Amino acid sequence: MKNFNKKLEKFKANSKNPFSVPKGYFDDFPSRMQDRIISEQKEYIWVIRLFRYVKPQFALAFMIITFAVIAYGTVNFILSNRTTNGIDNELYTRIMEVDPTEFSEQHFLEVLFEEERKVNDHKNDEMEFYIHYLVDEDIDYGTLIDEL
Amino acid sequence: MSDYSDKELLTLFKNIEKRNFAFNLIVRKYQVKLYWHIRKIVIKHDDTDDILQNTFIKVWKGLEGFREDSKLYTWLYRIATNESLTYLKQQKTRYLLPLVDYENQLKESLESDEYFNGDEIQRRLHKAILDLPEKQRIVFNMKYFDEMKYDDMAEILKTSVGALKASYHHAVKKIEKKFKED
Repeated sequence: MKNFNKKLEKFKANSKNPFSVPKGYFDDFPSRMQDRIISEQKEYIWVIRLFRYVKPQFALAFMIITFAVIAYGTVNFILSNRTTNGIDNELYTRIMEVDPTEFSEQHFLEVLFEEERKVNDHKNDEMEFYIHYLVDEDIDYGTLIDEL
Repeated sequence: MSDYSDKELLTLFKNIEKRNFAFNLIVRKYQVKLYWHIRKIVIKHDDTDDILQNTFIKVWKGLEGFREDSKLYTWLYRIATNESLTYLKQQKTRYLLPLVDYENQLKESLESDEYFNGDEIQRRLHKAILDLPEKQRIVFNMKYFDEMKYDDMAEILKTSVGALKASYHHAVKKIEKKFKED
């Protein structure tokens, strides 16, 4: 390995670069490069000009699209929340079934009060049942308190 | 040839009015070194010319943002190396060639290249170098032909000095083996 390294070094010292280039290549290369840079710059300037020209149109289109997306999203959001209000579905159906054309705030309130009245009637029935039970079984108030 | 240092050239380049002049000086200062570095990787003169031009175009576009974290010289070499490796990769994928076939093509082009005037030993040496894996070939060229320091090579190839020394050692062993076989 060491011998081969020495051989390589010796070989390099005794030999010229085996590759060559066309005559005058390195003299011409900087000016060719300069020409290419100038054409690249022209191309770059053309792209910049085009971009400057189309930029306002792109901005306007972007604004319109953004506005449309926001509007669509908002409408969708409102519509999806509309059905989830506080009124119980059965009651809502009943209100609407009466006569959708004659639906008014007054009518709506009447139905609501009727619902409340029904609940109260149900409570009164329960109360009466307990009273009758206590009278029938002859349980006086004192005994009931003692039991509790 | 320009007598400007890299620092002076970079300062000159930052002045917009003198930018073209500064770039011309950079091209004049580094064209020969970079040409030979690329030529030893891709072998053919025409390909080398294209890659060298692309390298300097990239330098032109990137020099404004060059932060001087590394030396200008190592930065230029890095661009040239990357451009050469990208070119080789493109050639292999363009013709759907396996690695071995493409290297055989390079060896054949060494035989037919009108700009290769080496003797028999030189031809054997360059063929043996072409048998090395790409990265190992670049390391060998940089160390043997360009006599570059390992530290600079490490900066260019983004590898450790130890890995580069090992790579060079393996490359020499493979070339020696190839010489013994022939």
